[in-house]
Amino acid sequence: MYEYIVEMKNITKRFPGIVANDNITIQIKKGEIYAILGENGAGKSTLMSILFGMYEPDEGEIWIRGERVKILSPNHAAKLNIGMVHQHFKLVHNYTVTENIILGVEPIKKLGGLIPYVDIDDANKRVAELSKRYGLQVDPRQKIENMTVSLQQRVEILKMLYREAEILIFDEPTALLTPQETDYLLDIIEELRRGGKTIILISHKLEEIKRVADRCAILRKGKLIEVLDVKETSTKTMANLMVGREVSLDIDKKPAQFGHVVLEVEDLRVKNQDKVEVVKGVSFKVHSGEIFAIAGVAGNGQVEIADAIAGLTDISGGTIKLNGVDISKYSIRERTIEGISYIPEDRQSYGLILDFTLAENLALKDYYKEPFCQKGFLNKEVIDEYGKKLIEKYDIRSSLGVDTQVRQMSGGNQQKAIVAREIELDSPLMIFVQPTRGLDIGAIENIRKMIIEERDKGKAILLVSLELDEIMSIADTIAIIYNGEIQKVSPAEELTTKEVGEYMMGVTA
Amino acid sequence: MIDTLIIDGLSFALPLFIMAIGGIYSERSGITNLALEGLQGFGAFFGALWAVTISYYFDIPIQKLYYLALLLSMVGGMLFSMIHALLCIKFKANQVISGVVINILSMALTTFLTTQINIVAFGELSDKFQIGTSVRFTIPGLSKLPVLGAAFKNLYPFEIVILFIALIAAYVLNKTGFGLRLRACGDNPHSVDAAGVDVYKVQFKAVLISGALSGLAGICYTYSILTHFSPSIYMGYGYLSIAALIFGNWKILPTLGACLIFGFARSGGYVLGQILKMPSTFSDLIMTLPYVLTLLLLIFFSKSNRPPRALGEIYDKGKR
Repeated sequence: MYEYIVEMKNITKRFPGIVANDNITIQIKKGEIYAILGENGAGKSTLMSILFGMYEPDEGEIWIRGERVKILSPNHAAKLNIGMVHQHFKLVHNYTVTENIILGVEPIKKLGGLIPYVDIDDANKRVAELSKRYGLQVDPRQKIENMTVSLQQRVEILKMLYREAEILIFDEPTALLTPQETDYLLDIIEELRRGGKTIILISHKLEEIKRVADRCAILRKGKLIEVLDVKETSTKTMANLMVGREVSLDIDKKPAQFGHVVLEVEDLRVKNQDKVEVVKGVSFKVHSGEIFAIAGVAGNGQVEIADAIAGLTDISGGTIKLNGVDISKYSIRERTIEGISYIPEDRQSYGLILDFTLAENLALKDYYKEPFCQKGFLNKEVIDEYGKKLIEKYDIRSSLGVDTQVRQMSGGNQQKAIVAREIELDSPLMIFVQPTRGLDIGAIENIRKMIIEERDKGKAILLVSLELDEIMSIADTIAIIYNGEIQKVSPAEELTTKEVGEYMMGVTA
Repeated sequence: MIDTLIIDGLSFALPLFIMAIGGIYSERSGITNLALEGLQGFGAFFGALWAVTISYYFDIPIQKLYYLALLLSMVGGMLFSMIHALLCIKFKANQVISGVVINILSMALTTFLTTQINIVAFGELSDKFQIGTSVRFTIPGLSKLPVLGAAFKNLYPFEIVILFIALIAAYVLNKTGFGLRLRACGDNPHSVDAAGVDVYKVQFKAVLISGALSGLAGICYTYSILTHFSPSIYMGYGYLSIAALIFGNWKILPTLGACLIFGFARSGGYVLGQILKMPSTFSDLIMTLPYVLTLLLLIFFSKSNRPPRALGEIYDKGKR
């Protein structure tokens, strides 16, 4: 018998310009939930990609069930009963759940003993059984394109189970989930463990590790810092070890100094694509030196308000005034020039051009101006120079500096790049939508500090966030939105978390 | 009159259909295939070349080599499609450019080779391989049906071959494991890779199938409309079949519908010309009918179209 089901000994993996894994050794027991904790770019995903056969380690050994193996491909890993749920799901959109699951391992029957065909009915039954056994609530006949992210993820889990995986790797599984969905997923993970599976959970979220994991390996900058027993360790200790310094999300901030009104929104109405009104006559004012936060459960119209002010969505009624000028008919660029910075919720679709370089992305809102553009030609040197300046100033980390393709950067650094670009516009109004979504604790602390700094410089800040903690810790004024209407506007210190939560659910006294 | 319309319409539509199925195979595996035009031309050249050569040297009547010619044209189309497969899959070239270049190459190459081979092998100065039209047959009984009976009258044997192959192709695409993997490649190749299947191999096979089916279509036109192989095979039927598969939303049955519409538009145009007693110089105008129809259909069908999601994307394993 073997003591550890998975052993990775002295693993080193180098990429050009970076040591992603530096002599890492981890040992995982059968039936445990083993967390791998680290900031974005700490080497967690690389280590697991090695275990899953996507990369070959430069040095080190892998032992599975007490036998030394070389894992050459994901296919090979699957044969060793290793399965992985990737961050980006690998699903065929116009296929049903079952079709996706059986892809590559199709059960074949012979029509009249001669003509082969895929026995989809039998597969449907098996998938339904598996789904039931682990409480996944997936309908085998549903098409992927009609499913939520959370359901799609469960299809990925089913895929592993169908292939009889024993060692399940989850790569940041909760990054795209709502709090309720996260809870549900963690329940499933515990259920899987009860079913005898070994689980490796890659994450930078301390709460979820604390909730489900038995042991936790902490990685920092490619090195293994420590392996901890989760029960006996506080989240605070884990956070400090992960970041490598004292971190605290209780940010000191000076009392706010409100100035003049910067943004004045009156009776704003927005309709969605289906012509349904999702913002129903919203009015508020944001002053310079104020962080005005809109709190609410996702999908209550808060993002549409931000989009309408930034110009991404047309409004169906009302006015938006910036420093007294009605900008509601302005184009996006005219609004930018008038003085709006915007950090969008979906940073990869609206904030960046992923295939452009970092320098190009940093100049994305200024490229047409002198000196970036001279007589109609872009000046690469000036753009790169500007990029270097911002990289330095905002500590944006990437492998190739200004020439890095933004797609290759970690989420935290992508966000830093957007924030850097938008702060440099020096706009009187800054709109932040979900600014810390998906980021690790170090990056969150960083971004929140930046927001407060901007406030102290006299900017008006409009913050839209689903994280109640975030709103409670940095907002000066809180507006709570429910069903497209603002329920309550109040100075932050006059509200408790519980009260805000109640307004968010529409429970108004 | 109606008889002519149906008989000619079908014999034009079915080769178009089998070529479009080839296109569906290629495109649903994610590889844009504009090369159908060139593939059908080269396939026809290859089949006709062997038919005339064997007939000449072994003194066999060319009609007896009919099925051999069909088979060899499929081989020819497949061989030529390997260029497209290699360029697009192995060398990750732009699929549109590769397709267009293959069309031009096919036309230039076959024209040159036909003339040269005629001089060297047969001592003739000609840019044609004469192979004549295929014999026709009528299904007794069914052909006696009113109106629709025409569909069973004066059939070319290749029409039956095509229907048979089309049936197999539809089955393979929709019911087998290979079909499941192929269609998955066109939507999300990463999912296929993650399932441990070699995406490149699937795509390679799909492109070769499109080559074989296009080649078959080409030789069918040679045996019916043209009666010989010559550069006039490059009439744009390959492009028309692409239009058909797009109107058919990359699905086999609706594509058959589109092909039939094109076929009947063409034969209907001829019938109309006869009724109106138009001079034969106007027949060129009538030949444009399917293409005018294409433009009109584009207006109505474009909105509801859903191409394979990963169509034309160069699949690179490393990229996330």
